[in-house]
Amino acid sequence: MKNDFRMKYPLWMMGFILVLGMFLFGVSSPVTDIVNTETEQSMSVEYGLIAGFVIIGSLLLYFLMLIIFYVQLRRHNEKNPTQKISPFAVRPPEYLEQDEGMTHITRKASQKVYSFMIWSLPMLAVFAMFSPLSRIYTVLAILLVAFIQYVIYYLEIRKHFKEEKE
Amino acid sequence: MLKNRVKELRARYGFTQSDLGKQVNVTRQTIAFIEKGEFSPSITLSLKLAKVLQTNVNELFWLEEDDGNEE
Repeated sequence: MKNDFRMKYPLWMMGFILVLGMFLFGVSSPVTDIVNTETEQSMSVEYGLIAGFVIIGSLLLYFLMLIIFYVQLRRHNEKNPTQKISPFAVRPPEYLEQDEGMTHITRKASQKVYSFMIWSLPMLAVFAMFSPLSRIYTVLAILLVAFIQYVIYYLEIRKHFKEEKE
Repeated sequence: MLKNRVKELRARYGFTQSDLGKQVNVTRQTIAFIEKGEFSPSITLSLKLAKVLQTNVNELFWLEEDDGNEE
């Protein structure tokens, strides 16, 4: 069960969010030069060496992770033809609902995430409205909330599986 | 809190958690959650467990607060 892809799904999402954060960090610091005169109109965006490295590195990492993720997803679907996961599912595939016991722990984990979301989202909205920081920090804050919700979900589910022994 | 005798009776009949889970059509993990008292099974599952473990629901599950009333 611990190797069930659905258990690892939140970890994958956390990984994707981290890489997205890295990418965001890279693209957030360009040197922008805008020329707007009667004779010339141009805009140049220049990234430094480190920022460029972070952008390309994060993009490569993202696609590499995407390939591994897809391979693992296919492997799971081949092994579990009755519990296939669609990569485009609207319903979160990390839900474990084979029986009432699994549904119970999924519900507990979901409740914890919901409790986190009901106070973190208003705080995020206030932050976005009044923050003197640039827009990039608001996006990072959104990613942070998304990351934390997966951490909460994963830790709650893992807690139950860690304790149970045959 | 709901207490139970599932582990004791399962051991008596020599079932593993997986064996018992298969017989009542739930995962091994669910049996483990029930044994730990972490999860209270539905009436349907309780009846199925009682049937497999050859007892009745009252013998298999009871409330902790009723412990003091037992003779």
